[in-house]
Amino acid sequence: MAQRCAGPGRTVLLGAEGARQRVTGLRSGGYDRAVDQPDLDLRNLTYRRFIDLGRAPTATEIATERQQSVDAVRAGWRRLHEAHAVVLDRDMVELRMVNPFAARPTAHRVEAAGRSWFANCAWDAFGVGAALHVDSVIDTTCPDCADPIRVTVTDSRPDDTDLVFHVLVPAAEWWADIGYT
Amino acid sequence: MLLFRSEEHVTRWLAGRTPGATISVGTLCDLAYAWWGDRLDPNWRPRSRDYSQAILDGLGLTGPAWTLP
Repeated sequence: MAQRCAGPGRTVLLGAEGARQRVTGLRSGGYDRAVDQPDLDLRNLTYRRFIDLGRAPTATEIATERQQSVDAVRAGWRRLHEAHAVVLDRDMVELRMVNPFAARPTAHRVEAAGRSWFANCAWDAFGVGAALHVDSVIDTTCPDCADPIRVTVTDSRPDDTDLVFHVLVPAAEWWADIGYT
Repeated sequence: MLLFRSEEHVTRWLAGRTPGATISVGTLCDLAYAWWGDRLDPNWRPRSRDYSQAILDGLGLTGPAWTLP
């Protein structure tokens, strides 16, 4: 079976300043949904703290920094989740994916910038170094034979060109269950 | 979204299921850099669906497997 993994975490939202106006007529799920500036600020802080801490920040940590209530942070995260800008856990309380970074341990480990991260899937694993603009080393396993795979990415090029990437679910359905792609 | 030793490993893993899309690790790397390269930019803004689709198209990732809704 396909792994439970993060998809590409694409955020296909339309930037919007000012009031919390939501775009109507969504094409599908969060595609082309607007995100207002306060939520973009929340999103950017969430990413920064994920990098600084080396793990997903909690709602309490973000609330303290933003001098907001935890409920306000979670409400913002829910809007970002609906817009595919982050992915929350099943209870819609804490972060599950801050793509390409994974909030939980996965089969895709990435060393980059002197630290290590979990990525949500193979696509995201290559995205960690891309997002940080550094070289990276990716450790995962072949789902077929279970052999370990280590790929070093230097100057955006992988050192093992025999490897292949497979996505089982068509793009139109990625967000039907972003954990299964 | 998984990484395999080779296409032979993908075929064996599928075990007769309908395959999705398979691309080289080099193309995956190009895709990752195009997709995620701006993610930590403080001026990051959401992309439109069409912009995202253009990234895929630009890498030759076309057809039903790569068509966003």
